[in-house]
Amino acid sequence: MQQTTTEKTVPIPGLRRDKTVKKSVIWADRLADRIITIGGILVIVAVLGILVFLTVETLPLFRSGQTTGQFRYQLHDPPPVILGAGMDEYHTLTYMLLPDGRIRVFHTRTGYEMNPLHISADGAAITASADSMDQESLALGFSDGTIRIAATSFDMSVIPESDLPSGLTKIDDVDQTDGDTVFSRITGDQYRLIRFRATVEEPIPSSPTGQPITNLAFQSSGEAERQTRALVSLDKSGYLSMNRVQEKVNLMTGIKKTEIEDIRLPPLPKDIRISVIRLSELVDTLLVACEDGRLFRYNLQNTATPVLAETTRVLPAGQTLTVCEYLLGSQSLLVGGSDGSLNLFFTIIEPQMGTADKRVMVKAREFTPMTAPVVRISAATRGKTFAQSTTAGSIRVAHATSQKTLLTMEPQTPSPPLALLLAPRMDGVFYLSQSGEASLVQFSTPHPETSFQTLFQRVWYEGYTEPTFTWQSSGASDSFEPKLSLIPLIFGSVKAAMYSLLFAVPIALLAAIYTSEFVHPKIRDILKPIMEIMASLPSVVLGFVAALVLAPVVENWIAAILLSFILIPVIMLTGSLFWQFIPLHLTARHGGIFRVIGAMLLLFVMAGITILLTPGFEAFFFQGDFKSWLTGNTGDALPFLFLILLPVSALITGLFYSRFVNTWLMTIYGRNSLLAASVMDVGKWVFLSVMTMGVSFLMARIMSRYGFDLRGSLVGTYVQRNTLVVGFAMGFAVIPIIYTIAEDALNSVPNHLRAASLGCGATQWQTTIYVVLPAALSGVFSAVMIGLGRAVGETMIVVMAAGNTPLIDLNIFNGLRALSATIAVELPEAVKDGTLYRVLFLSGLVLFAMTFVINTVAEVVRLRFRKRAAQL
Amino acid sequence: MTEQPGTRTSMDRKMVHPQHGAEGTILDIDNFCLWYGLKQALFNNTISVEKGLVTALIGPSGCGKSTLLRSLNRMNDLIEGLHTSGEIRLDNQNIFDSHVDVIALRKRMGMVFQKPNPFPMTISDNVSYPLKIDGIRDRRILSETVEKSLQSAALWDEVKDRLKDNALGLSGGQQQRLCIARAIAADPEVLLMDEPCSALDPMATTKIEDLINELRGRYSIIIVTHNMQQAARVSDNTAFMYLGKIIEYGKTDTIFTKPRSQQTQDYVTGRFG
Repeated sequence: MQQTTTEKTVPIPGLRRDKTVKKSVIWADRLADRIITIGGILVIVAVLGILVFLTVETLPLFRSGQTTGQFRYQLHDPPPVILGAGMDEYHTLTYMLLPDGRIRVFHTRTGYEMNPLHISADGAAITASADSMDQESLALGFSDGTIRIAATSFDMSVIPESDLPSGLTKIDDVDQTDGDTVFSRITGDQYRLIRFRATVEEPIPSSPTGQPITNLAFQSSGEAERQTRALVSLDKSGYLSMNRVQEKVNLMTGIKKTEIEDIRLPPLPKDIRISVIRLSELVDTLLVACEDGRLFRYNLQNTATPVLAETTRVLPAGQTLTVCEYLLGSQSLLVGGSDGSLNLFFTIIEPQMGTADKRVMVKAREFTPMTAPVVRISAATRGKTFAQSTTAGSIRVAHATSQKTLLTMEPQTPSPPLALLLAPRMDGVFYLSQSGEASLVQFSTPHPETSFQTLFQRVWYEGYTEPTFTWQSSGASDSFEPKLSLIPLIFGSVKAAMYSLLFAVPIALLAAIYTSEFVHPKIRDILKPIMEIMASLPSVVLGFVAALVLAPVVENWIAAILLSFILIPVIMLTGSLFWQFIPLHLTARHGGIFRVIGAMLLLFVMAGITILLTPGFEAFFFQGDFKSWLTGNTGDALPFLFLILLPVSALITGLFYSRFVNTWLMTIYGRNSLLAASVMDVGKWVFLSVMTMGVSFLMARIMSRYGFDLRGSLVGTYVQRNTLVVGFAMGFAVIPIIYTIAEDALNSVPNHLRAASLGCGATQWQTTIYVVLPAALSGVFSAVMIGLGRAVGETMIVVMAAGNTPLIDLNIFNGLRALSATIAVELPEAVKDGTLYRVLFLSGLVLFAMTFVINTVAEVVRLRFRKRAAQL
Repeated sequence: MTEQPGTRTSMDRKMVHPQHGAEGTILDIDNFCLWYGLKQALFNNTISVEKGLVTALIGPSGCGKSTLLRSLNRMNDLIEGLHTSGEIRLDNQNIFDSHVDVIALRKRMGMVFQKPNPFPMTISDNVSYPLKIDGIRDRRILSETVEKSLQSAALWDEVKDRLKDNALGLSGGQQQRLCIARAIAADPEVLLMDEPCSALDPMATTKIEDLINELRGRYSIIIVTHNMQQAARVSDNTAFMYLGKIIEYGKTDTIFTKPRSQQTQDYVTGRFG
């Protein structure tokens, strides 16, 4: 047995080969296997890595504050009243202004007392103070009815260790002092010097009767040599006066000239108890708030004649005003009531309310009420963050727009606050209670202004008449608040994608059906690569061609384009109708080439006809000018409704025809010769066209009768770089993708199904519609989805051709701003790790999520299609 | 290669005695030639198909049986470079005439293919498809036709409870009978069957053959098969084709028992093919 086997394996002597697999082959196989596996895993890791990276970059946007340091101590000899206070950027020194003119300066972290400063005022006591928005000067009201302006500043400089004077007293690990200046050790063996200075200017008489000043509001503006200061004061007798102090420094002589201008304010009711007066930063608004919650608003835009513009209530009856403070920019006003409530007000333009300046104060936001009345608010100078403290000493730091609570703090023993200071960099809060308990909490909130609400929901920004989705990432002034709603951008991306698909999908699908089902294979072999070459055009080229060439052309010929949307299908259908008159033996033999060339020629003829017809068309439908019709100034809604309803009514007419008339007509056709039937067919077409127009007119008439007008929704004012242009350009970019995938899907429908249908006596078109298309439907759907994914993520075309206006507007003739375009345009200007930077990363994440979902759906559908196609 | 119509070749003599149907001939294939590009596939074929009978086309693979069958309802039209000469007359009307409506022709000639090819839709939609493309929407007519056609195809009892199920869920034999039902639903005059049983198991084959026997008389059936036993079992007349030519045409039992041609003899006795 063994013998024979051996003999069998050696049939030809000399050709005996080793049948074992070589080691090198096994190793090569194993290596290839590993490399492919590792490569695949690396791709997945890379995608996940990008996802994780984007998420990590955006997470800080949603974080609230984190405490980084806490210092508590008992301040010696706490004063009973503090008129003003301030802190430097590094939380080193804090000053307190006392009524006797003393300014106590102490080390913020430890309470170490520095040498105090004194403001001499000829024996008068300080009775009121107000700081300007920049916190560089302080207005002081005195008991003799005068006001002085004090310049306060924290002087800072940095010296090397070698210049450090000797004999310093050590305060803590990093800080030493000589009694006036604090020397803080910083990195690189250097020391930062911080010293508080205050200088007082000449008195300005304010109260005509010399009564003590009880309330004061103050703003200063202008450059150093031409300063303008506005002062509003209330004296003990209830007299409200306003002064404008203008200082001019002669640049040659250096002599300072001061002009004081008295401004007469319209009188207020006599019986009120004024609690707070506030002057806006630009000195255009003066607010006088009463204890009972009444608020008087002066409009000072015309300085010569101030107007008492509005009297309103900011608290419900029965409540007492406990605090009233402007936020940065002097637009938003925080008002606290005795029930612990805290609300935000600002003025909006509202002509209907009948106020003198057509503006009205509205309550825009309510903050979560505190358990005790809020009595102190310290607003930040670099954002809309503010700190608040209740009578019980509970402290909350929050952001006014995002309403995000950044920090909360409860005192060890409840005690009313003496001072509450939010550090200039919004990274610390200092609190001093009446019992002398002092605490400094350092915290970090990199992005207080962003929350889920500000990013994805309507926000009522100051100056806006209603809550809106707004994207406005940068502005001209320092007090500008970035508005970072992603909704307009998401809307822009979706709008651009939808309009471009509206243009691309019919063309791409019909082209795919044409080449896969109707055209001769030879022509298909030419057409398909040509369509695919379209995809090789860089989108940036498409973008600038669209913006610089297409946009002006579309603008000039907009009516012609509108007309061509109607004429192209009509003329194509008419052409195919007259095709029937060509004898069968000609069409059957040379159909393919002739049909393509004929269709091309027809398109050119159509373009000529359209250009010829446009003036008449515009005159007949739109009073001669489509663009001015769009603005809504001329004409009515009917003509456009008629045009846009034409396809719908064509569909209705067609359905009606195929349902009720077709069969009957077919039997009549059958009884006649081919020529007669063709003539009857033309007649049928004319009849159906008239029917379609009639139905469309009827519907348009009814809709316009009921006030339906597409102007203002789907169409509207024409902007040169608009969604229509984007639709054309981006449609051009996605047509090849949709076409290729859809064509492949249609082609992969097995031929035996076509044969079965044709064998039953179905026409090509019936076979396509009833058999091929349903069988390839999921593949076609995934083609559209992949096109959508490409359109949503497309960047350069929307950057260049879309106008980049972040609007939420369906109008096809208006611009848009897409997520991808925003990232491309704004990322170079965004500060690393800043809020805008992270919001742009969030935009990227949203974009990633959108395209991921779309492409996943497309891929799942495609796999399903493949599985089904394999079964056929 | 074209020859004058009317000239008869030597082959004619071998096919003079087909079994005659009760109603005469329905289809005259007259001197029919066919080229794929430059390659000629069919050579001067001439036979008459009797109405109401089953005619089988047999022959080895590649002999042109299917090509001839597909020419009958012009399913070959779409093939690139294909051209023909001679005539095929359905009721004395040449189907290659320029004014002939191919669509109408196919409605008169139902076709059943080698591989069962139901549409990926429900069973009833499959059967009513020929009516749907004629624009018939009347539910009553549709359901009547579906029932009648399925009964004619001997499938009704098996699927009457699941007419709304996808046709792809049927077995191969059921699918093929469904395709026959679909062809019948169009109410054709001729049924063309292109090796209808080659993809089926013996049990399903038996059922199809029984069905062909039942349909005899109602339709003129032309069946292509390379299963000689099948041809012997179901057909009345048989044409033996070899290398694009009809070698012999006559009564089925004559062809199988006393063929005139040596080639036919060799083929039916299994010497080649």
